[in-house]
Amino acid sequence: MTSPALVEAARVEAATSRIRLMERLAPWALMAPALMIALLIFGLPTLYMARMSFNEYEYPLHYVPGFTFEHYGRLLSDPHFFAAILRTIRLSLMAAACTLVIGYCFALLAWLQPARWRLMFLALAACPLLISEISIIFGWWMFFPRNGLLSYALVSSGLVTDKISLMYTEFAAFVGLVYLTLPFCFFILLSVFDGIDRRLIDASSDLGAKPLSTFREVLLPLTMPGLAVAFSQSFIWAMGTYATPSALGPDTLWTMGFLIQEQMLSRRNWPMATAFAMVLVIAVATVMVFTRSVMAKRTSFHA
Amino acid sequence: MPDTSAVIPRTQHVALQSRLLGVLGAGFLLFVVGYIMVPIVVTAAMSFNDATIIRFPINAWSLRWYHDFLSSPQWTGALVNSLIIAVGTMVISTAAGVLAAWAFERYHIPMRGFWYIVIMLPLFTPGVVLGLGVAIAFGAITIAGEPIYGSHGLVMLAHSLWAMPLVFMLMEATFRTIDHRVIEASYDLGGRPARTFFEIVLPMVSIGIISSALFAFVISLNEFVMALFLTTRDSQTLPVLMWLSLRSAGSPRLAVAAVILALAVYACLTVVLLWYVRQVRKTAS
Amino acid sequence: MAANPALELDRICRRYGPVVAVDNVSLAVSQGEFLTLLGPSGSGKTSTLRLVGGFEKLDRGQVRVDGVRVDHLPPYQRDTATIFQSGALFPHKSVAENIAYGLRMRAMSRADIGERLRQVLDVVRLAGYEDRYPSQLSGGQKQRVALARSLAVRPAILLFDEPLSALDLSLRLQLRGEIKRLHDELGFSAIYVTHDQGEAMAMSDRVAVMNKGRVEQVDSPEAIYYQPASEFIYTFIGESCCLPVRIEATAVRDETGAAVALELGHGPGEGAWRLYVRPAQFKVGTAASQCENRLKARVAFIEFLGNVYRYHLTAGSIELFCDHLGKAGLKVGDEALVGWNKPDMTVFA
Repeated sequence: MTSPALVEAARVEAATSRIRLMERLAPWALMAPALMIALLIFGLPTLYMARMSFNEYEYPLHYVPGFTFEHYGRLLSDPHFFAAILRTIRLSLMAAACTLVIGYCFALLAWLQPARWRLMFLALAACPLLISEISIIFGWWMFFPRNGLLSYALVSSGLVTDKISLMYTEFAAFVGLVYLTLPFCFFILLSVFDGIDRRLIDASSDLGAKPLSTFREVLLPLTMPGLAVAFSQSFIWAMGTYATPSALGPDTLWTMGFLIQEQMLSRRNWPMATAFAMVLVIAVATVMVFTRSVMAKRTSFHA
Repeated sequence: MPDTSAVIPRTQHVALQSRLLGVLGAGFLLFVVGYIMVPIVVTAAMSFNDATIIRFPINAWSLRWYHDFLSSPQWTGALVNSLIIAVGTMVISTAAGVLAAWAFERYHIPMRGFWYIVIMLPLFTPGVVLGLGVAIAFGAITIAGEPIYGSHGLVMLAHSLWAMPLVFMLMEATFRTIDHRVIEASYDLGGRPARTFFEIVLPMVSIGIISSALFAFVISLNEFVMALFLTTRDSQTLPVLMWLSLRSAGSPRLAVAAVILALAVYACLTVVLLWYVRQVRKTAS
Repeated sequence: MAANPALELDRICRRYGPVVAVDNVSLAVSQGEFLTLLGPSGSGKTSTLRLVGGFEKLDRGQVRVDGVRVDHLPPYQRDTATIFQSGALFPHKSVAENIAYGLRMRAMSRADIGERLRQVLDVVRLAGYEDRYPSQLSGGQKQRVALARSLAVRPAILLFDEPLSALDLSLRLQLRGEIKRLHDELGFSAIYVTHDQGEAMAMSDRVAVMNKGRVEQVDSPEAIYYQPASEFIYTFIGESCCLPVRIEATAVRDETGAAVALELGHGPGEGAWRLYVRPAQFKVGTAASQCENRLKARVAFIEFLGNVYRYHLTAGSIELFCDHLGKAGLKVGDEALVGWNKPDMTVFA
């Protein structure tokens, strides 16, 4: 090999390894901010909370370093706390089911409409998303009480004789919760519907099936997987929110979220608060993993 | 006597059922529209109420509560806090999300499924848990003598826990729709990766970026559970102030706050829509 | 001293897992030469082009552009310019901005850029289109802008990645002529990828036929057509009919073993052969009796193709078709004599 050829070969080698190195490092540099947020602002506090939930508690300190299962034990043994867990789950399940039914019908209507109406449906469904949860609470807060709009409307139209109050009832909390989760459910189901070939519906009615039969035999089975996703997402969302139930529901309607806030801000019992938080997270994670494993059998997720 | 019911043709059954379902559908639609509009209409109406307490029917209408809101330093201060934090969240999470999404699209990443979950995980965690975690973990930290608890920056970072994964998810999908040949053409003509990204890729996905940024802004503006854990009296955001005032000072001022909050969101949306229309008109055939 | 070839490929290889996309390809494109890579899909022609452009990584071998070794250099450091299948114009930039992009990357002055822009738009006959946007252009215009964009940077070699396959037929033919004209006028070096043999034959100085990652033959279009180096090339280029026969001492048999009435005046000796003849070289009817090789066959069906009548004939398991100007006076079911001469026949074992 002559000298110029050797020099050139070396130059090419150097250029190659430099470029290969940059290709390997570049993605990490780009992902760094996002990873910092995920690991530092999320991962670290989560680990911290997990550790904290095993600490001991002594008034008036926030916590005392130690290791105990006392708080988890109290979660399960104390009837108030345990009842709160069950109540959260029950309320979330019911809200998710109701949201699913309303969301399904709404999404179905939106899907069947011609294109120019769809935008209106989307705008309508997106409304609750653009409004703060506190504004939503406040809106219902003025609707349900004795002097609220509902009572006024019922009395002035003559349907009832006396002012009524639905405030601070489980029903009010339920209504608020469904209102919050409805948009998510709607959009999930709408995308499920969009994935279905409309000609299947046309073919079914072409063969003479009544609309209800088409629905039962064709549409419903096709949308089953999407139903499961929508339900689980609504359930998770309902589990996580606490402001609406605690503001609109009776004082006895404690949810886990409310208890977390209470332990943290009022009682200043950090270990207890984090124990609650851990249980909530585990419950949510379990539901998600369960849904994903059921879904994985049918469809494939992001590649 | 022959059974005449069997003589009614099948198509009439179908038509009848279709008509019934149509009526049901219309009724249902009315119900849903009403359901969604109730809190909105009620709040908007109450904000123009002249009385000091919240009750229906509204007998007198005026703008006095708007004046009250705008002249109250506590409430306008809260609004300003909210806007500052929302802008900060928008900047942080859009930058982080867009860059991470581009990394996923363009480069090979080992164990990419794992990293995807790591980035998306905070989005699926309840706000209560996130707020608690950040408050406990970072509450005692001071930077240069200033405690970061109660600072705008901390709330921005906490809100980014929801906003950044959302931006990432949206932009990842958007980047996948780019024609790779266009990017190759840029390289081919001498454009290095950084220049290609800023001059070619970003403008092509500008709509996606603006939409994600808008989402981040709205999420942060409306969020109050995390903010509740992380703000003090001086730095509280508008939703937090509204929540705290709910039980104690239930006056139409709260309705005004809700309306103003919604107007801020609406204003952003309008800006984005106008920008989008202008973009389309510029390159339309 | 002789000028460097515009492009040299020295035993380049590229594999994707177990699949070898480019298998030991060596080629050279001289200055000003227009070389086409021709082959069916999966033959490795596009992979080869992308290796030259730098869009794929080389596994083995060397690539030299204008004498300079460029393997493992990213595309933005190579002196090549590519014209993509869909044009790949920057959708948010005007025609002028698209063309100026490459020139800006080379740090040309604004005045020079303006001048080059004018030149290149004139050459592709799109003067006055500077401020249009890609969404306002037709398919043909987009490709011409893509061409202008690549010509503007005056690369050592132009790379064409099936630029015409997304266009409809008349546009394809028109642009084909345009590219040929531009090459004659400007004398650029080019390597052109296509699966359309008509394009390859019409435009190129030389054609490299690729199959399964290898180059089977590199030659002028005429040599490829008349002296194909392999059976694959023969069947890939132009239409042909295959007569698989076994020649024995006493009889000629088809694949099933049945005897066929084939008289070979001039043909191969005993053994199993595949005889190839192009449909236009068959003679049918009375003219066939003058030919050196004759086959008795039956008319199976007739196609009218506009300019010719195509007669499909069978003899035993042998199927062939021949093109005839005007009617040959035969109907379906008729017995006919098909003839051809030795120079028109290619034989493969």
